[in-house]
Amino acid sequence: MEQSQKTFEILEEAPVIELRDVNKYFGSLHVLQDINLSVKKGEVVVIIGPSGSGKSTLCRTINRLESIDSGEIIIDGVSMPDEGKKLAEIRSQVGMVFQSFNLFAHKTILDNVTIGPIDVLHKSRKEAQAEAMELLKRVGVESQASKVPAQLSGGQQQRVAIARSLAMHPKAILFDEPTSALDPEMIGEVLNVMTELAQDGMTMVVVTHEMNFARRVASRVIFMDGGKILEEGTPDEFFAHPKTQRAKDFLESIKRHES
Amino acid sequence: MNGVNTSIRDILYEEPGKKARRRIAIGTVISLLLLVVLVLMMIRRFYDSGQLDSKYWIFFTKSTTWKFLGKGLLGTVEVAFASGALAFLMGLFMMLGRISSFAVARIISRILIEFSRGVPTLLFIYFFFLAAPQFGLKLPAFWKISIPVALSAAGMVAEVLRSGVNAVPKGQTEAALSLGMRKNSVFFKIIFPQALRYVVPSMISELVIVLKDTTFAYVVNYADLMQNSRVLISNYDALLSVYLVAAVIYILINYILNQISVAITKHRNVAS
Repeated sequence: MEQSQKTFEILEEAPVIELRDVNKYFGSLHVLQDINLSVKKGEVVVIIGPSGSGKSTLCRTINRLESIDSGEIIIDGVSMPDEGKKLAEIRSQVGMVFQSFNLFAHKTILDNVTIGPIDVLHKSRKEAQAEAMELLKRVGVESQASKVPAQLSGGQQQRVAIARSLAMHPKAILFDEPTSALDPEMIGEVLNVMTELAQDGMTMVVVTHEMNFARRVASRVIFMDGGKILEEGTPDEFFAHPKTQRAKDFLESIKRHES
Repeated sequence: MNGVNTSIRDILYEEPGKKARRRIAIGTVISLLLLVVLVLMMIRRFYDSGQLDSKYWIFFTKSTTWKFLGKGLLGTVEVAFASGALAFLMGLFMMLGRISSFAVARIISRILIEFSRGVPTLLFIYFFFLAAPQFGLKLPAFWKISIPVALSAAGMVAEVLRSGVNAVPKGQTEAALSLGMRKNSVFFKIIFPQALRYVVPSMISELVIVLKDTTFAYVVNYADLMQNSRVLISNYDALLSVYLVAAVIYILINYILNQISVAITKHRNVAS
């Protein structure tokens, strides 16, 4: 009975991303405590919480930019190894967008988007470039293709970073505070691209302070504090009826800023 | 990156006011006068001691003199180029060892780097000139000067390259890793090209040092600018004039090298 139920679950909805009992320490600081999280195909999971809550660390452990001390991370049914070729292969299936863009400073915008497909997926330059131009058009920066990153605005750079991730045809994309380093007038253009991605069915994990984005786009909101997941629910549930006092305080302090 | 007129002075000091400007102007005039007096005194000394006599200078009107110096200059440039290239390669390997994840490679590289930086160039040259032949290692004069000069520069090159690698932001590595790139790819396609750009000015300074070290070529009897100058001196008994001309040539080459460095830096700043 239990066995058949398990099989059923796997057939029904094998999660794209799954974290099982993940623990991580920075020295004596227990930054991730027994994290269990599962993200289904097409889901947009938004992680919110005060700074130092471990939300960025959690996001970065998912493609092992941060190592973990115990537990397991499973990407599309495959457990993530510590190192080596297999790790690189799994990383190539999970896109990542950083707070500080991290575009390759010495490469043109076009080369930034093609380097992954050429170096990792071994596509031909011609094919990679054609696809990269499509993606740049999709995020609205195709006219900047021959420039270098420093010549672009922050918002443009972040949209290129999203295109660079998309070029790998990832199973999911992680966003680590993608708008935190942007001037206010550029936040919208990046959030718009992200919203379109979500509508197209991309699986996304987003660490952000943009509560309106969370309200509109998230399929699920996760509230973290002190290295723990304290609450998990639909945006309507979470924003209207936070269960924990920490979440109530957090939402209250944000409301004061937003009004 | 910033305004066109930003210089180190603008960063270090605030813009001078009226009084300060007058003080600077007075200081400039006085020091210029002192400089002129000093130069005149020097010329006077040379004149008095007969160094300005035409016999010390007349041979510079002969084309053979310049051909001879030109040959020396070519030798200097060849040795500097070979030493520079060699030093870069050796430095690159030392740096790769120094940042390797293998402890043994790190220790060996550190020892090599300290050795290279600590031993004077002349000692390396004596080794290849005097000691090495006794062990059956007989090299042409060109390599007897090029290899030691490169050896003594390699450690510094390694450290400069390493500082460049360290200056590349960590996010560049993370972005490359998250695309699924492998360690070597990340280093040689993302990190190292950027590191090189950071260190171009220091590398060219290093090349200037290499070029100056090539003057030791006379020790191994290799015909560089210095060696040929010495030949001229003994032929014409004209110490000051020849050394003066040689110095001017060295200054010119190094000035050109520095200008190249400035041009590259400027070009890069415009590009970003």
